[in-house]
Formats: sequence, structure tokens, C-alpha cells
Amino acid sequence: MDSDEEDFVFYGTPVEREEGIASRKKKAIAESSGNLRSLPSWKQEVRDEEGRRRFHGAFTGGFSAGYYNTAGSKEGWTPQSFTSSRKNRAEVKQQNILNFLDEDEKAELEGRSLAASSQFDTFGFTAAELARKQAEKEQQSRPSAIPGPVPDEIVLPATDSVGMNLLKKMGWRYGHSLKDSHSSSLYEARREARKAFLAFTSDEAKPELSTSEPTEDGLENLLEQPSESETKPSKSTPVYVLDPKQDLHGLGYDPYKDAPEFREKKRQHTSGGREHGQRRPFSSRDNLFGFKSKNMAPGFGIGALEELDAEDEDVYGSGYDFEETLIEEAEEPSKVGIEVQDSRPRLTGKEHGILPGFRLASNSDYQLERFDPPVIPKDFEPRHKFPGPLESNSRLSDPPPLEVPPPEDSNLKVLIEGVATLVARCGKLFEDLSREKNQSNQLYSFLIGGNFHDYYVRKLWEERQKSNQTKLSLEGKESSVPRMTAESRGRILGERPLERSMVTPTSTDAPADVKFPTNLVDTFTKSEVFSELLEVSKPFKDNPAKQERFEQFLKEKYRGGLRSTDSGGASYMSESARARERLDFEAAAEAIEKARLAKESTPFSQRFTEFSAGGMQFTSAGVEEVKPIQTEELTKKIVPKREEFQWRPSPILCKRFDLIDPYMGKPPPAPRIRSKLDSLFFVPDSFKASGTEEKVTSRRDASTVPQSDNQESKNVVEEEPEVHVEIENVERPVDLYKAIFYDDSEDEGEISVANTLENPEKKVEAANATLNRLIAGDFLESLGKELGLEVPPELPPATKQAKNASQKEVGHDNKNNFSDPKLTQEGVLLEIKEPVHTLARGGEKPASNDSPEKRSGDLNMNLVPPNENTVRNSSNRHEEKLDSSSSEDERSRRGSRRHHYSSESDSDSSRERHYSSSKRRKRGSSREREKRSSRRKHSKRRKHRDKDSPERSQYRSERERGESKRDNRR
Amino acid sequence: MSASDLPRKEANVLKGHEGAVLAARFNGDGNYCLSCGKDRTIRLWNPHRGIQIKTYKSHGREVRDVHCTSDNSKLVSCGGDRQIFYWDVSTGRVIRKFRGHDSEVNAVKFNEYSSVVVSAGYDQSLRAWDCRSHSTEPIQIIDAFSDSVMSVCLTKTEIIGGSVDGTVRTFDIRIGREISDDLGQPVNCISLSNDGNCILAGCLDSTIRLLDRSTGELLQEYKGHTCKSFKMDCCLTNTDAHVTGGSEDGFIYFWDLVDASVISSFRVHTSVVTSVSYHPKDNCMITASVDGTIRVWKT
Repeated sequence: MDSDEEDFVFYGTPVEREEGIASRKKKAIAESSGNLRSLPSWKQEVRDEEGRRRFHGAFTGGFSAGYYNTAGSKEGWTPQSFTSSRKNRAEVKQQNILNFLDEDEKAELEGRSLAASSQFDTFGFTAAELARKQAEKEQQSRPSAIPGPVPDEIVLPATDSVGMNLLKKMGWRYGHSLKDSHSSSLYEARREARKAFLAFTSDEAKPELSTSEPTEDGLENLLEQPSESETKPSKSTPVYVLDPKQDLHGLGYDPYKDAPEFREKKRQHTSGGREHGQRRPFSSRDNLFGFKSKNMAPGFGIGALEELDAEDEDVYGSGYDFEETLIEEAEEPSKVGIEVQDSRPRLTGKEHGILPGFRLASNSDYQLERFDPPVIPKDFEPRHKFPGPLESNSRLSDPPPLEVPPPEDSNLKVLIEGVATLVARCGKLFEDLSREKNQSNQLYSFLIGGNFHDYYVRKLWEERQKSNQTKLSLEGKESSVPRMTAESRGRILGERPLERSMVTPTSTDAPADVKFPTNLVDTFTKSEVFSELLEVSKPFKDNPAKQERFEQFLKEKYRGGLRSTDSGGASYMSESARARERLDFEAAAEAIEKARLAKESTPFSQRFTEFSAGGMQFTSAGVEEVKPIQTEELTKKIVPKREEFQWRPSPILCKRFDLIDPYMGKPPPAPRIRSKLDSLFFVPDSFKASGTEEKVTSRRDASTVPQSDNQESKNVVEEEPEVHVEIENVERPVDLYKAIFYDDSEDEGEISVANTLENPEKKVEAANATLNRLIAGDFLESLGKELGLEVPPELPPATKQAKNASQKEVGHDNKNNFSDPKLTQEGVLLEIKEPVHTLARGGEKPASNDSPEKRSGDLNMNLVPPNENTVRNSSNRHEEKLDSSSSEDERSRRGSRRHHYSSESDSDSSRERHYSSSKRRKRGSSREREKRSSRRKHSKRRKHRDKDSPERSQYRSERERGESKRDNRR
Repeated sequence: MSASDLPRKEANVLKGHEGAVLAARFNGDGNYCLSCGKDRTIRLWNPHRGIQIKTYKSHGREVRDVHCTSDNSKLVSCGGDRQIFYWDVSTGRVIRKFRGHDSEVNAVKFNEYSSVVVSAGYDQSLRAWDCRSHSTEPIQIIDAFSDSVMSVCLTKTEIIGGSVDGTVRTFDIRIGREISDDLGQPVNCISLSNDGNCILAGCLDSTIRLLDRSTGELLQEYKGHTCKSFKMDCCLTNTDAHVTGGSEDGFIYFWDLVDASVISSFRVHTSVVTSVSYHPKDNCMITASVDGTIRVWKT
């Protein structure tokens, strides 16, 4: 069918089908709510902003409401005009439902309402009603002194009904009950209760009674009423309830007129449990307007058509359901009435509180049983202690070994103490290790059980005790964040401030005259940090005295506490010198500290574990050591990382912000398209791996040129293959996209412009031709050799060298957009076949120093699946079919071009121009791409192609020249 | 400004919202303030006299943010109904509704000329809307974020957005660049310093961070308050001397800008303090809370 139709030729525009138009029109009308009124009312559909249907009166089946969904009328919406109530008060009417009903509706209503005829009106309801109506009519016809409708109560029923008469005849009187026998104990009790209630809430109970009565069962009511006639007359006689006005509203004003649910609430509030058995307590959830979720935020519902979801819940709610508890309280049978009626009735409630027939229980069964929380023993620690890897913990209970006098040899003493400290901190493994290592060493005999073994054992015990204490004290600290003070650090590191006087002298002296490994002694005698600092650098090596002072300074610094005034320098120093030295020291210490922190990235504890031959036990000291580092790292981690990307504001946004569009005049971005193509054709491998710079380049489109220039220059020095790898994948899809889809309608104009620009340059540059030819030729030749390129065979001998060069140049840059894979592969062949052609296209040799995008374009082509190839091949074929005239034309132009670039290639005088031209190139590059693509697509437009190909290669040559020049300069 | 000048005395309580107040903002000259909340209304107040001037109702769900033009003639508001409402202040009518966000809209701001509205949505995007044309399509969609955008700030030339993905991104229209500062913590609220050189970013790890805009350097961190699960505001005082922000326990905190010490903290509300706004000139501040009140604080 379709194919048939395609074969036909149609003239004119087809007439659209009537129904199609009509239905569409209707739809359109229905869509635009403004036109809604033009539709008949049964066709109107009210929709909200989302286009969902809105119902009016959703619960009655709901259609459009009002006058075509407005509050107006046929005559328009006219508000009730204001009239002074001073003059015509009587005219102010109370509105009732009849005012809003049509005649037919009224008739309907009238017909439907049932009423007993006056004849059988036992209690005179109908009669009363009639009389009332009569009175009302009369009132209206002749206004009385009392303005407004006469209160219903004043108008009494004038007649007695048949039933009444009968009853009266039988001896019944007003105020007597019909059924005395029925007054059972239940009713009695109830009556009593009611009476009692009335007694203490007489002020407000009455109106409520009158309103709540009808809710009771009708039949029961009827029968029951007379029985209660002593306290409460039956309904047959209107009762005038004196309703004291307690609120501050105007007379007759009903604040709950439009919100009856609040009346209910109020009533519940004021008279809590009067008839709790019968009346259901107000619960918002039963209500029509109630919320469908417990967690619904208070005060608001949602539309009938909207669904309640998570976001409607009250996120700010405390999670407790107060409402629930309140209701339960209200249902609690005993003393709710008193409780809920706050303060005022409380006193009276206390007096009469007990309902007649009840008495207060002396002891209630209901007792709240309380379970006290278990008593926490005083020494309980709310933390689980692991039977840790530390032996020190388990050995804590060991009895302390005997105190042994230290050995006389201070060095040995220091060594023993040091080893003990380390062992205490690192665990038994260290002891074993050092024992093993130092078996032959006399000095370490104490480990095996030599002379001073006892002393060592004692020291070890002391150390363990100490480290344990520090740990405990740390644990005892409330703050979870370990705050490091100099003191606590010292403690963690095992510095012993008490023994300072003993240790410090040795620390400086000991290394000098001890034969065993000095480093080890150093670590033992000094605090680790300190020693490390010294290991890291001795900033004042050349001045030993100063160095000593510096160490002293460091010690003071890390020990914390007060610094003695003279600690800064020797006494012979002047005040200013001392101050200067102090500053020096501070700076040096800071530098060292920084270096240490950097080193600390392999935490202290790790070094310890390495020390203990890969033992898995982290010592307490080690672990604690890590903590501050971790916190430091934490703060470091949050250091914000800054990245920059390309972002393209829309032109209109720029306009609205009163800014100049940074991308003005640049072609629109195609990031989305690119990504699509990426997923279609390419594996985005190196794209992701590339750094931010490349990200930037990939994001932007035409504006990549400056950056790509940088890359070019960089790439030239680099080796060829690397260049290829690096540049791969950047930006190619854009080209491809354009190649396939873009129109080349603007090509012609641009080409002509470019050509005119080109021409004057050519003339000027021709002057330098001979000079530059040589230089450029040399360079390009060498490059050509490197690339293994072939020299095309048919060159006029005069310009051979130049052409050679130029061709290589062409080969280099080869932004050549058409560079089809086929050609690159079979480049030689094609060149031989059609040298003219290849030249025209600027050569198919592999690119070397081109802008990345261009080159990538080439490479992409290589990666492109076969269909791409075919496209290009077809274009090739077209080109092959060039007629001789055009090729002739081209050749001549090419010749001039050749001249032009060879002449221009490298001279100082042309440098500036050349930059400007490179600038122009930036602009041109995008154009080129488009052109390229257009050519591929519209292969039939040969002429244009022919025209612009030289222009393109000129651009290229210029650029390339620039690069080669840069190289030369290098 | 010394610490004693901090607005610590309650001058007025603005009651009227039913349910939580989600945002309260001074207008450009500080004479009025706007609030919006869960009750789907926007209210205009005179905080100094403590009276409500107008109520704007049209939103279908809660209103999350509101902003006023510099000439006080127009309002823009956004909320849970995924729409941005462009109001006329005096008549209270909606001039335009901008639809397009795929999800709730968290924040909204006018630009300097009140010609563009930029909104930040849960749909991970910033959208710019044109107030001048009749088009209701966004003129720019920025979807660089990878999570809900919580807050947006505008300068003369930049759009700054803070997102739950932990980044504060600055989009410079003039040079067409996006600068992303990754804080690593969900950003709840961003506000500019009055000199425009710093960004204050309230993060969901109960920390407010001060960033240098030019370098992206973290200048200071302010801690002490609780901010873990609610969208809460923070801002700088009018002199840039202090940082202030609410806390989930109903307290408000004042920090010294430079040394990040808590200068003052006191209870202002019974519940989460959702919003704080500082008077542009005077020592006056408004706080809004889930408890439904807005309180005006003066020295």
C-alpha cells in the first residue's frame, strides 16, 4: 500500500479528513481550559495543572460544578450588594437550602418529605411545624417591633393532636411518662448519672444535650423520653433551655458553621466522657477529612486524586502518636469527665465526683507495676574489654618482681630500660626477636638471664604497668575525639617526665661513647618522636653547640610544660641573638615536624610490626599512636578537590544575565550526540583515562584549538606512536556525526572568504620563497624520512624540493578529513594512480603533528566500521571521476599553494603573520570539519569540494608550518 | 561587630503557618520577610512589627523555598509539586508557573536583574527559567550534579549550586566554565559571604565549611551543631564577622568566622531550626522552625 502510494505523484495539498480535524479540534478545545466554557456542560472536564481530572464533589460521583465550573451565574458573578442594615434590617434573611434550589427541585423536595397529617400528629410535631411556618409568614408580611425572624421556640403549637387528646382523656398529663413500668434500674442509673452531670456542668451541658440527643436510637428515645420527664421534659413540649452565652462571639454567630468537625472536637474537649459509651470519640482518622497516614503532617490533606506517598509524611514528627494516647485516655471509663474538663469543673468534680450508686474504691486492682532498671554496679564500665593481644593485660595481676638496684654502668642501664620499654609496648615478640638477634652480644645477656635479668624483669613490669595506666587514663577520658596535648603525647610515647633528670644527660652523651648500634640506643634513650626528628635531619650539624641547644629545645617542645627561660640558648648569648635562635629553632622544628608527618603515612604501628618480624600484634602504644594520625588524615580527606570543566551557558542565559556569551559564534555543542555515537561506534577507552585537560577538550567543541596547539607542540618532540596513542579518541565522534548529518550549505561562502584572505598573503610570502624553501625543505625531508613517506613521482623538477617538502608537510598534518582508511593503507598505490588527487586532498600519510582532534578524526576513521568506509570510498570514487578540467584547475591552484607555503615556511618576518593565520585557523577548523563532513555526505557536489580542498590544505600547511617552526626554534 | 551585638533577644514571634516552616527569608532591604512551609502557603510578614501582610496560596504541596526580587515586586517559590511559581507580590496572583523539574524543587533564586530564576531540584539538575519571555521551558539545564541539588546561589556572573553529591559547583557564565569543589560530604545549604569571596557550605556531617571561591581552599570548619538529616540553612552575619546556623535540637549557633569558636548558642525553637536569615544591614535575624513559628531576633 505504502509503496504504491509512493509511486504516485500528488498535486496540491491533500484535504484532511473531516473527522480527523474535528476530533483534533475537540481535543484541543478540551485541552485548553480557557475554552472550556464553550463546551456544553456535560462535555466539560475539569482538569488540574497536571492534566488529571478533577472532580467536584468527588464523593458524590462528581462532575463539573457551579456555572461551568465557576462561582458565577449566567449573568456573571455579582456579589451581593451591600445594603445598610440599619435601615432595612428586616430584609436580612437567613439563607437556607431552599434559597438555592430551583423550583422543580423544591417541588421534588416538598413531595418527598414525609409528615404526619395533623390528624395523627400524636405529639404535635407537624402542627408545631405548621404553626411555626405560619408565624414566620406573618412575620414577614408585617414586620414587628422585634427585628428578625421570631425564634422558633416562642411560637407554640396551637393545637393538640388527636393522640394527645386521647392520651389526655386517658389521664395522661404533660410531664408524665407513658410507660412507668419500664423504668428499670438501667434507666434509673442513667438518669441519675445525667442528673449528676447536669449538676456540675449545668452551664454547658444543656445545649449539648439537645444536640446529642438525636444521635441516640430513635425508638428508644421515644419510649424513654417520658420516663425521664421529671428532669427533662419530652420533646412534645418545647423546652426553653436557657443557654448562657459564654463565648465572645456575636449573637447568633456560629464559629463552627463551616467546620462542624471542630464543633465536635470542641464538645469532646469540654465534656469529655459524658456519654462515652455511646458516642465514639472523635478521631481524626475516621473523619472524612482525616489523613490516610498516621505520619501525615498535621493540618493538611491532599487532593482526592493524589496519592499519599512518603513525602507527605511528617518528617519532622517526633514519632510518637499523641492522638492515639489521647483517645485511649478519653475512653478510659473512670474519671475522664473530670480530667478533660480542665481546672474549672475540677473542684466541683471532686465534691460530687462520685456518681451516685458508685463509691470510690478504697483500693483499686488496677495498679501500675513498675520495674526499676537494674542497678548498675559502680565499677561497671560500659565497654567491652577484649582479652587483648597484649600479654601485659593478662600479666597485670602478676606480683611485681623484686626491686633490684640498677647496674652501675649507665649505658647498660639505659639499654635495659630501653629494651624493657619496647618490649612492654611491643609485646613479647620483640623480646624474643631481640634475644634471638643478640644472642652473641654480651650486652644483651640480660635477656637470656644474665647479670641484670632481674633488673630487666623489674623494669619490664614497671613499663607494663605504666603503659597500662596510660591506656586506662585514655579510656577514662570522656571525649571520643582524642585531643593530643604535648603531655599526653609524651605519655603515649613513653616519655618519663619524672626520670627526666636521669635520662636527658645520657641522651646527649650516650651515643658518643657507646659501641653497640647507636641508633638503637638512641631510640631507647630518647622519645621516639624526638629521636626520629633527629634522624630525619640535624639542621644545625655544623654548629654542635647550637644543635645541642636545638635538641634541648625540641625536647622541651615535645615534652610540654613550662619552658625554662634559659633553655633557649646559652647564657652568654645576647637577648636578641637568643630570640633569633629561638625563631630559627621554631622554624626548623616545624619543618621537621612536617617531614615527619609526611613520613607518618606509614603509621608508627606498622613500623613496629615490621620490627617485630611481621607479628600481628598491635601494641597499645602503636594503636594509640595511630589515632591522631587518623584524625589528621580525616581532616585532610575533606580538603575540597577542585576540578574545572567546560560548561556552555545558553545564549539566552547570557543575555538575561547581561553578559557576553563566551561561546558566541561558535558552533553548538554536541556532547549528547557524541555520547550517543560513542556508545554506538567506539569503545571510550582512552577517553576516560585521559586527564582533566583532555576532559576539557572533549567537552568543548570548536574551542579546543588553543589547547590542541599546545599538544601539538608537545607532541612533535615526542615519538610518533606515542602521539597516536595519546590523541586517540579525542573528539572524533563529533566529526563523524557531522560527516553524516551536517549540511554543507554554508560552505561556499566560507570558502570564498577564506580564499580572498589567502591571496594577499600568498603574494607577500612569495618574496621569501627561495630562502625558506631550502630550510623548510631540509627539515621536512628529514621528517619525511623519519616517517618513511614516499615522494610522489610526478613533480616538476624546478620545484621538486619544495614540493617534496610541502608534500611531507601535507602528509604530516593530514587533518585530512577524508583520510580514509583505505587510502592510508594503500596510500602508495593511490598516490601513484592519482597523484593529483592525493595532493589535492592534502595527502593521506599518517598524521604526526596535527591538532589532536584532527588526528583523532583520522584515527577514528580507521576504527570506523565498514559502512563508514564505504561512504568514504564512494566519495573517493566520485573524486576519481573528476573531469580533467577541474583537475587541471586544481593542479594550477595547487601549484600556487605550494609556492605559498614553501615560501612562507620559516622566516622571522613571516612569523607574526603566521600566528595570525594560525588564529584564523582556529576559526577555520570547525568549518573544515563541517566541510569535510559535507563532502562525505553530498558527494555529488563535486564542484564545491574541488574548490575547498585547496583552501583546506592551505590552512593545514600553515598550521603545520607553524609547528615545524616551533620545532626548529627548539 | 563584637559578640555582644549578636541578635539574642527575641523581638517578635510570627505565628500563622500551620505545620513546619521550611524557609524564611528577608527581602532585599530587610524590611519584610517571606516564609513558606508545609502548609503550602507563602506568607509575607513585617518582622519588625510582627504582623502578617499577605498569604500566597497556590502550591499543591509544601513550599520549600521562596525568593523575592530586588525591587520587591515579584516572588518566586518552589516546592514539592515540582513547579516553580512566579508571583506578583501585590496582587498575590501567579504570573507564571515553570514546569520541567522531574522531581521536587529544593531551592530557587532570582538573578540580579530578576530576569532569570534558577532552581535546584531533587532531579539532580539546576534549571534556569526566563521570566521575561512567555516560554515556560527552561532556558538552561545544568545536569552536572550526581545527586539532589539542595541549594543555589547566584552572583552577577555565576550560578553556584550545592548538592548532596558533596560538590559545590560554580558555573561561570562569563567564561563558560564549571568549577567543581568536592567537599566529600553532602552539601545542605550554600550561602555567599557578603563580599562574595567565600562560600559557606552547610554539610550533613554537622559541619559548616567555609570555602574560598577563587582557590577552592577550605578556610574553616564550624562544628558544634547537629545537622544530619534535615535541610537547614546557614548564613553569615551582615558584617561577615560571624557564621550562624541552626541545629536540629532547636538551638542556634554563632561562630566566629576566623577562629571557628562557638561564640554563642541558645535555644530558639522547640524543634528543628530549618532556616535562618540575617538582615542585610542591621543586627537582626529571623529563624524558622518545624514548630511552625518564625522568630525575629534583635540585639
